[in-house]
Order: sequence, then structure tokens, then C-alpha cells
Amino acid sequence: MKNSAKRIADLVSPRQQRNWDWRAATNFIAGGAGGGLLLWTSIAVSEPDATRTAILLALVLIASGLTCVWFEIGRPWRALNVYRHFATSWMTREAVVALLLFAAGGLAVLTVRPLFVIPAGILGLAFLYSQARILAANKGIPAWRHPRSVALMIATGLAEGGGFLACVLAVSSAVFSNWILAGLVVLIVIRAFVWRMYLGGLVADGAPDGALRVLNGIAPRFLVFGHVLPALAIAAVLAGIPGRAGLLFAAGIMVAASGWFLKFTLVRRAAFSQGLALLRLPVRGRGAAGPAAKPGWKGMPG
Amino acid sequence: MKRYVMTIDLRRCVGCQTCTAACKGANATPPGVQWRRVLDIETGEFPDVRRTFLPVACMHCANPPCEEVCPTRATTKRADGLVAIDYDLCIGCANCVMACPYDARSIVHEAHYAYGDQPLSSEAVRFDPARIGVSMKCTFCVDRIDQAAVTGRTPGVHPEVTPACVNSCISGAMEFGDINDPESTVSRLLGETQHYRMHEELGTEPGVYYIWDQS
Amino acid sequence: MKAAQSKSVKHVPTLCYNCVSGPDFMTVKVVDGVATEIEPNFAAAEVHPAHGKVCVKAYGLVQKTYNPNRILSPMKRTNPKKGRNEDPGFVPISWDEALDMVAAKLNAIRAKGLRDEAGLPRVAVSFGHGGTPANYMGTFPALLAAWGPVDYSFGSGQGVKCVHSEHLYGEFWHRGFTVAADTPNARYVIAVGANVEVTGGPCAVIRHADARVRGYKRVQVEPHLTVTGACSAEWVPIRPKTDPAFLFALIHVLVREHGLDELDLPFLRDRTASPYLVAPDGLYLRDPESGKPLVWDEVSGRAVAFDMPGAKPAVAGCHRVARAVVVDADQARREYADVVGKTAHEMLSEHIAKYTPEWAETVCDVPADTIRRIANEYLENASIGATIEIDGKTLPLRPVAVTLGKSVNNGWGAYECCWARTVLAALVGALENPGGLVGTTVRLNRPQNNRHLSVEPGEDGFMVQHFNPTDKEEWQSAPATRNLHQTLVPIVGHNGAWSQALGPTQLAWMFQDERPADWNMPTPTFPELWIVYRSNPAISFWDTKKLAEIAARFPYMVCFAYTVDETNYMADLLLPEATDLESTQMIRMGGTKYMEQFWDYKGVVLRQSAVAPQGDARDFTWIATELARRSGLLGSYVDAINRGVSGVSPLKGDGYDFSFDPAQAPAAEKIWDSVCRAASVTLSEGKEEHGLDWFKEHGFYAIPMSRLDWYLSPTMEQKGLRYELPYQERLLRVGRELGNRLHEKRMGWWDEQLSEYTALPEWHDVPARWVRNLEHAGAKAADFPFWLLATKSMQYHAGGNAGIELMREVAQNVRGHAGVIMNATTAAGLGIAEGDRIEVRSHIGATYGKATLAQGIRPDTLVIMGQFDHWATPYAKDLDLPSLNTIAPMTLDLTDATGSGSDIVRVAVRRVEATT
Repeated sequence: MKNSAKRIADLVSPRQQRNWDWRAATNFIAGGAGGGLLLWTSIAVSEPDATRTAILLALVLIASGLTCVWFEIGRPWRALNVYRHFATSWMTREAVVALLLFAAGGLAVLTVRPLFVIPAGILGLAFLYSQARILAANKGIPAWRHPRSVALMIATGLAEGGGFLACVLAVSSAVFSNWILAGLVVLIVIRAFVWRMYLGGLVADGAPDGALRVLNGIAPRFLVFGHVLPALAIAAVLAGIPGRAGLLFAAGIMVAASGWFLKFTLVRRAAFSQGLALLRLPVRGRGAAGPAAKPGWKGMPG
Repeated sequence: MKRYVMTIDLRRCVGCQTCTAACKGANATPPGVQWRRVLDIETGEFPDVRRTFLPVACMHCANPPCEEVCPTRATTKRADGLVAIDYDLCIGCANCVMACPYDARSIVHEAHYAYGDQPLSSEAVRFDPARIGVSMKCTFCVDRIDQAAVTGRTPGVHPEVTPACVNSCISGAMEFGDINDPESTVSRLLGETQHYRMHEELGTEPGVYYIWDQS
Repeated sequence: MKAAQSKSVKHVPTLCYNCVSGPDFMTVKVVDGVATEIEPNFAAAEVHPAHGKVCVKAYGLVQKTYNPNRILSPMKRTNPKKGRNEDPGFVPISWDEALDMVAAKLNAIRAKGLRDEAGLPRVAVSFGHGGTPANYMGTFPALLAAWGPVDYSFGSGQGVKCVHSEHLYGEFWHRGFTVAADTPNARYVIAVGANVEVTGGPCAVIRHADARVRGYKRVQVEPHLTVTGACSAEWVPIRPKTDPAFLFALIHVLVREHGLDELDLPFLRDRTASPYLVAPDGLYLRDPESGKPLVWDEVSGRAVAFDMPGAKPAVAGCHRVARAVVVDADQARREYADVVGKTAHEMLSEHIAKYTPEWAETVCDVPADTIRRIANEYLENASIGATIEIDGKTLPLRPVAVTLGKSVNNGWGAYECCWARTVLAALVGALENPGGLVGTTVRLNRPQNNRHLSVEPGEDGFMVQHFNPTDKEEWQSAPATRNLHQTLVPIVGHNGAWSQALGPTQLAWMFQDERPADWNMPTPTFPELWIVYRSNPAISFWDTKKLAEIAARFPYMVCFAYTVDETNYMADLLLPEATDLESTQMIRMGGTKYMEQFWDYKGVVLRQSAVAPQGDARDFTWIATELARRSGLLGSYVDAINRGVSGVSPLKGDGYDFSFDPAQAPAAEKIWDSVCRAASVTLSEGKEEHGLDWFKEHGFYAIPMSRLDWYLSPTMEQKGLRYELPYQERLLRVGRELGNRLHEKRMGWWDEQLSEYTALPEWHDVPARWVRNLEHAGAKAADFPFWLLATKSMQYHAGGNAGIELMREVAQNVRGHAGVIMNATTAAGLGIAEGDRIEVRSHIGATYGKATLAQGIRPDTLVIMGQFDHWATPYAKDLDLPSLNTIAPMTLDLTDATGSGSDIVRVAVRRVEATT
């Protein structure tokens, strides 16, 4: 065994977070999509089988995300302690919402009645919002704490939900109107816009070089596969090109998958810590103090 | 109302890691876990180069983001300014780790020892299973601070109720005490010097002051 | 910890003396008999300059105690073949068997004679870092004293890893075995490679931190920005090994651009040899009758003996002397009539004229303006004329100093550096005065615990220094030690183990293997028994592969062993001694001592057994006593203890008697109880007597001491003595004599070294020596374009702790502990990225490590920290760290006249593997 040496720069500069791995990322990935799907299902679908399928899928997504988290936390058998801090913790709030969501969602699956479907949809949105706020509350990760990250997480959750709904509709026998297709296009456009706003804001306000490098690196792929191609597919459906169901399914998958790609990137690869900063370098005996230093941040020495 | 803070005089620090090692000893942290450490930061380009040593740990913020996000209330801000963790409540969700802009927290999911699978006698006698799978960080040596209330001694003045890192510091860079006491060493030092707190723009109101010059 | 609170907890006062900068105080927290923490000893905060604190290394002592890789019972070798590729096959044996084996060896040797046919001691002993093992080996020194001649020649790095030339010249000129700034009063310090924030221990660190806050300025002159450079106000990245040129230029500015009017004229006149008149042949003009050096008396207008009462010697100028003599080597006298003598200062002034800052810029790669500015700042801050009151006495205050670091003050060029910085101090009156340049202690003179008592009148108005004789009758033509210290190095003297250990230790290793063609002395022999303690020369010296091969050929080797290591891999017997926290010993503390231990107290401190020894490790005092008993040395061993050899004062003196019956083997605890009592009685002048139990509770005993003891100049003034500066007439003569002796024996192999004996050192191209060395070995200089240097680490320095996990963990927070430090721009040019595995190759081999890129290092220089590249030491061998020692050659042409060398080698560098 060789005892590998640490690199001094890694100790000083912002570094990728190592505590939330793919399991935690899965909660944001699947849970957010599930929340969005739940919302759109409650609004846009009336056909019972499709409704039931979509809600069931949403619940599975959310449940699988939460299960992954349960496997990640250090003390899973104390998981119920998560309910102890509703006053400020968005994780507590997410957990509360999840309870209500599964109650309402369960009843909605069983009854397919608006009395339960609509509250489930609202709770889906609330779940999505809670998750966005969980990320944004983390002051230690500049890419998350940026005020526009909430909008981004919600926008992508809603788009992914729309994408999944498109898939459900594509494989079900339910008929769907072009309004749904138009809605999906709107979601795609909004997400693209919010993403640009988020990235622009992050660059303008400053973030660790590593985070910007990762996010800028995915931008072209995210735009093409998550927005341009699905939009073209939907346009093709609207234009009456044969293979309506297949095209719709493809568009939905691309919207959802690209959102997942974005969130995985955000939660894992772009999640660089704040790092450290010195507002002044100390005077060493005589002479002047040195300028500020913020290693790993563009434009700052270090 | 007491508010315990630490001052770190960057003019003095030589980056020797004595405080790092003393902390590891005092708190029996496992290999690789450093509740405090001293960073070695180089700036500038040859030949105009500076190297600065920056001791970092939990800042015991007055507005701690870790406490806000903690879903279990394991992390709490005490009346005396210390940010504490109740290991028996913590579920190890790591939200606080992400919330801390000072990289001060860590979670160890399984026991690690200095030499392989078996603990040394010194590790075995102090092994605490309660700290596996939960969030950990610098406590300002809270046991000692609590002892001060019992013995009537003063943290920052009497070593037995002062954090181990401060006691160990061989350059005299670190002081500890009640900033609300105008007579305390920290109050006096802060009155005489220019200083800053790290990442103040994030609104955390940290309890560690870095001194960089005289007033 | 909650769990610990319900258990038995005690705090045991003791000390750390792992490096030469100790001793420092600490306490060991012991929970249910297990050491768990190291803490400061605040009970000692008032007496200890570092306020009862220890440095980071001491915090590793808990792991050191419980390290599972420890040797915990005596072991004997079963594989008769020795070598790196031979498994020693160590098997456990009983202490009885082990001690009988050693005793049998000792008895057999004694029967044959203590010296062999070459006149060399049959027993050799090697101890590690700077004499510190003596603080851990209990009464073993008493056993060695009882034994008789022992060869301490086989160094583990002394001469090359210490500040060797400073030891020799520092002690010669001003009783400074090591030399420091008087930091508490300093205003301006030029530190040339002195990495005191790393190697000076807690006492140095707090002194310099206080000085920084007070506003002193330290200018750090070194090729690589060390921790000390980081903590300095200015960094001057000088070209490696050109430091003499930089220092000469500083003298030039002071002497030629400012002149005597701005220097400390009274100090130069009264405390130095500056007024001594020098004949055209370079020797002192002497009074024909008394033989005393002459000075020009400005009162009477004639030349008089230097000590003529009422005379006012001229410091400057040339003066005509009617009649005088000079005394050359081998007492050759020449007479002069009507001769012009120049004062020594005049000689200096003329000598230094060519060393302008502009000239130095071409050598050092430091702008002339910078050199001139630094010289001017030095002079300005010297505040010549200022005074300070210390304990009721008014002394000059000269708050400037030049300090030197390892590789600057050893090896070629070091004589020049030591001379220049001492002259720089003398020129402004800062030598041994408050604020200035001060020595710490003596090791080549006696007594070790009070350097002032070693100041006695010697030749020519200077203080005495006992050189090894170079005259025909007394010169040691057949070396009595394998490093030839008395034969080759007059200045190292013959003060026991210290003089021996500071001889040319690499020669002992080299000449075991091959000798110069014109070697005309007895052929060196292997020691029949080699004993090693706290020393690992197969890692810590140079050309370590070859050194290990030589050690493998030694006939019998006994190592006190903590773990298996690269040296004791060749041992025949391993003996596990109780380590730092497990054994008991009383030592002196306080006074003045390296590196910056300047105390207001002096006394004694106990290192005590805080926990029971692990396994079958035994207290060193018990081991020594048992060996004495079994080898028939008990009587003389106990006598040595009674004389105070292993303690701090004799066990019997005026009004007290704690001595032992030489016929009985005293128990270890009894020995230390007597030492404690004798120490407390003598320190308190009979008022207090404290036994071991008292010291176990209180830890130490101290009495106050005046700060006046920090400075030698008042003592020199009181005794009417001068510092032997700036002119080195004696060295010139001694060098000529030594040359005569060697040439009479038809030996010319030391001639290059003889060139160092000059009255006023000249610059020669010091770095070129390393280039020539590789060219002589058949390599091409262009193939090795970089300098490789070594630097020290506080976490590891002298700790013998490369196998301690905690040190590894915390050291990685400090730059350089991951591999090879190199300039980022240089690295980019070579396609090397941070973390890439690189090969650093010299003409004798290669070492491998990860690249650490930095701006704080010269583009032509690489630096490797510490001494690693272990292959046997458990844990350390998995660190995958490089070492300069692996690739630095050990050769005669890189050995200077003091027998020292320098940690520097020309290398090539290339990437072998990209980072993952």
C-alpha cells in the first residue's frame, strides 16, 4: 500500500463536496421530477388510467429518492428525528410535505378523484419547492446558495415532470390535446431561460472556478439535448409527422433526462465548497499588509 | 450575556500544526478528521510571493447556517455563543456539512484507526461509538467551557477551561474569551488591532477574528 | 470524552527533548494507565521561555508509545547474510540472553585490547541528532565512560545536516556553538537560510512572533520561501550557495561606502583585533621581545604591544614600524625593520573593496540595489551609540543580526559565511551585545552549562581555544578515530565525544571503502562492535544505498531499536528500550542553549515514566546497569555515576553525599532519586533537598538567572579579551602547519581543503564545486541543470517519527510534505503538473516523488523536505516520499576543511507519471 500524499492546493481551494453522493443526488433527481409530474398530472390529465399511472410513477420517483437518502444518512434508524426542526429546516419541511404527499397521493391513486388528486399536485409542487430550498440554504456551496438556484431547481423539476407526463401519455391510450404539447414547449423555454439566468447570475456574482468550469462545460449539451432537440420533436408532432407517440416519448425523455443530468451535475460535480478567503495578508513584522486572497475564485489571487 | 470568541493573530502564526495535533489529541478525532487545521496559502508570482498560514475551524457563528438547516435540532447555538452538536440526535444527513461555508464539519461512517484495523490502546480507551455516522466539528472544547461554570474559572485565562488549540499554540497566535467582557484578552486585542472575520458577507457573524495588523 | 470521565485520570509532568531546540515542558494525560494526550505544562509557564509548551512533534509521542510496529522484546538476527535484500530473520530472545551476548562481545574485546592494530577503538557508537539521545539514554554515558576509548566517528548526518561550520567557528570566535539573534531586543535580522521558525522549537517561535508584533524586520535570504521566509517581512531569493558573495557585499557597503566613522569604533578598537598590525607577508607584526602583536598607539605615535596600558590603538591606516618580528607556521620567525604594517581593519577594507554590490549581483542573482538597501538598513537599525539597561547594568544596544542556516553554514563556502556574518556583527558592535548576534552555548569547550566560565585568556589577547596540535611533535599522524578529527581538523579540538562527533564524519564512511592513492596512514578497520541509538544513518546521511552496504559489512552491530529501520536492518541484535513516555531521567534545563533557548531561569527537569513500558521494553538505565554488571565494569560505572556523568551534578559534594557503593548495582529508581537530591541541593546551595517522588509530582526545579548571562561581551570586557576578528592570522598559520605535516607524510589529498585556511576569505565559485564533482564522475553538467536542496520540517525534524501516523496527517497541511517542491513556471516548461510523479536524478541515482508546484522557489531550484525514502521502517516505507540523501554523493572534493558538506546536488527532473 502506498500512502498517497494530499495536494496542498486541495486543502486551500474550493473542492467538490464529498458527503452527498449519488444517493443524495437521486433524491433531488427523482424527487424533483416526481413533484413536477404530480403537479402536472393534477392539472392536465383527466383520463383515470393515465392519471393513476402518472401519480403512481411520481410516488415511485419520490419514494425511491427518499429511500436512497435513507441509505445515505449516517444514522438511518434515527431517521424520524428529521421531523424535529420545522421552524427553519427545509429538510424537515420536505419530510413533512412528503408524508402528506404520500397520503394524498395514495388516496389519489386509489380514487382518482380531484379531491385527492389536486392536493397531491399541490403537495408535489411543495415538495419540489422544499428541495429547491434545501439546496439554496446551503451557504457552503456557492453554486447552490445563489438566489436563482431555487428557480432553476423548480423550473427543471417542472420540466422533468412535464417530460414524464409526456411519456406517460405517449405510452397510454389516453388522448391528449396540443395544449399539453404547447405547455411542454413553454416549460422547455422557461427552463432554458432560467438556466441562462442562473448561469449568468453565478458568473456575475462569482463562484468557485471549479463550479463555473463544470457548469459551463455542460451548457451546450444541456441546451441541445434538453431543449433544442425535444422542442424540435414536439414541433414535429405538431406538424403531424408520423410517429406521434414515439416523438412525444422521445421529447419527454430528453427533457427529463437532461434535467437529471443537470441536477446530478449541480449536486455532485459543480458542488464546490466556498473555500477560504483572507481579506488581508498579515503584516510580518514591518511593511505593508498584503492584498486579499481567495484561492480558487476567478480574479482573486491564490 | 457571554459570547465566547477566538482571536487568531495571523502575524504570529507559523503554520506549525501544533494546534492541529493538540486538537486531534484532545478530541480523539480519527485519522483524516481535523476539527481544526492550519492552511498554507501562497499568493503572488515569483519573486513577489507571500505565504500565509491560516488556522481554520468551526467559526461558532452567531447566525450559524448549520443550525438553520439541521432537521433534527442536533445542532444548536448556545447562549454563550458556542455552536454545539448533540450526537444522540444527529441523523448524519450532512445538510449542515453543506451549509457550513467554512468546511468545518465532517462525518465519519465507520471507525478508522491510525494503524490498520485495530485501535491503539490510546484509541481504544477513548473510542466513542456515538460519534460514528454523525456530524462532528470543533466544539471550542465545550467540556472545558462547561467546567468553567462549575469551577468559577475563566475560559481564556485558566488553561483547564480553555480550548486545547489555544493552550497549545506556541506562537501565541490564539486567544479565547468573552467578547462582551471589555476586560477580556480578546476584547483588548481586538481594540488594539485591525482584524476581519471570514466570509462575513454571508451573514454568518462568525466568532473567530483574524488579526492582521495593529490599529 | 464522556467515557473517560469516569476513569482514573492523571496529568504527568515531563519533557520533550526530541530535537536540539529542547527541552520543553509538557504533561501527559494518562487515562486508566494509558497515555492519551500531550498537553502543555502550565506550571512551568513562568520559568520556560515558551511558557510550558511543546511543538507539534511531541504530540506524536502517544502514538509513538503504542505504535504496533514497535520492537517489544530483544531480537537476534538469524540470517548471517546482511544487506538490503537479505531478510534479517530477527527472532525474539530473552533479555538475559541478549545482555549476555553483548557482555560477551565486550569482554572479548577488552581481553584483546580496547584499540585494534590500526590504533582505532574496537567499539564504535553512533547517536542521532545533535546530542539529544543523551537525554533519553539514562546512565548509558556512565557505561561508556567506564569502558574507555570509543569511536564516535560514524556519523548519521552531523557535519552535513547540522550547522557545522557555525559550531566550529562560532565557538572559536565567540563561544557560540550555535548562534542566534537576540530576538527579544532585535530590530533588524538578516536570516540567510536560517529556518528558525521550523527548527528553533517553541522558544524560538514565540520570540520571533513577539518580535513581529513589536515590529522588527526580518529579511529572509534563501532560494526557497520556507516557513521562516513566509513569516518574514522580505524574501530575497538568492542563487544557491552564493551566500558568501551576498555577505561580502554587505561588508563592502559598511566598510567602503560608510566607513569607520559610522561603525562602532570603540568596539572594533577594544574588543577585536582590528588594530593589530599586519606585515606585508600577511602575519601579525609582533613585538620582538614579548612576541605580542603590535598596534599603532595614537597617543604615543608608535607601535606598541596590543595590551600596552594607556595606549589608544589606531583601527585604520598603515603605520611604519621600526622593528618587529612575525611568527609563521612551525614557529618560523622572521624579523622586520622599518616595515609598514597595515591594521587588520585596513586589510579588511582593502580586501573587501572588490566585493561591491554590483559584483555580488552577478554572482547571487540579487539586485545590487537590494543588497545596498539591506546593508544600509542594517547599519541604520544598529543604532550605534544606543544603550540598554539590564539588571542594573548599562550595555550597548545593537539590535541587528545576521543569522545563517543549514547548507549556508556547512560545507564549502560556510567558513566565508560564518566569518562574514561575525564581522558584520563586530563592525557595528552587535557581537555578543543586547539586540545583536549572540552565541548560545559551548560544546567544544568546557563547562557546557556556562559558556562564560570557558572564557579564559589564550594567545595574543584572544580567548583560549584548544586546537588539535599541528606541530611536528604532537600532531596526530596516526588517527585515533576513523573520521580523523584530530589529524585533519585542528579547530574541532579534542573535547571528548563532541569533538569526535563533529569531525569529518563522512570520511569515516568513505575510507572504510576506499582511500586516496597517497594515503600514508594505517588502514582504517571495521569497528568490532558498533552500537547505534536513535540514529538511522542509512536514511539520514548521503549516498545512503552505499552507506547501508558499508554498514552491512560491520562484523557485529547492536541497535537500540524502536522499530525495524534501514540501519538496524543490518543489526545482529536489537534491544528495545523504554521510550519517551516510558522511562525516567533527569536533565539540566535553562541558561542559554541552542537554538534560541535563552532563559531567565536555570535548573533541572525530570522526564518520567508516565506509563508502563510496552511489551518487554526496558528502561535504559536498567539496561546500562545490567551491561556494566555483566561486563565487569560495575565499579567504574558506578564511579562515573557518582561523578555525575549521567546526572547533572556529582552525587557527592560539599555537605551532601548521595553516592553509591561501587560494589553494588544500584536500582534505576535509586540512581535517579540520588540525582534529584544532588541536583536540588546544589542548585539551592544546600537549602532544599528533593527526591524522585517530589520531582515526579512537581516536574522541575528552577532558580532565577540574570539576562546579563545572555551576552558574552561584558565578560570579554571584564577579562580584557578581544574577539579573534576580523583577521584570521592563527587559522592561516595553523593551515600552513597542517599542510606541512601532511606533506611530510607525502599526502596531498587534503590540499584542496587546506586552501580554506586564509586570513581573509576570498570568494571562489562555490557552486561550481558541485558541477565539477559530477564532471569528475564522468557526467555532463548540462544534463543536470537544476539545484536540489533539502529543507526541514517541524513535524519531522529530529523526531525519528517518520513512522508516526499523526505526524504524516498533520504535516500534509504544510507545503512540501507531498514530494518535490518546484517552481510552477519551470514545471510548466517541462510539462509537469501539480501532483505528477517525477524523477529527480543526480549523477549517482534517482529519487521519486510527486511534484508540488509553487511560486515561492527559484526557477533553477528544487527542494525536498526532510529525510525519507525509507524501505524498511514500517509505515514510513509506504509514504512514497523522495529524499535528497538518496542521490547526494559523499565525496572528498565536496568536503570542506572542517570536514563538513552541504545538502545540495545538481539534478535533472522529468515526469514519469501524470497525476490521477
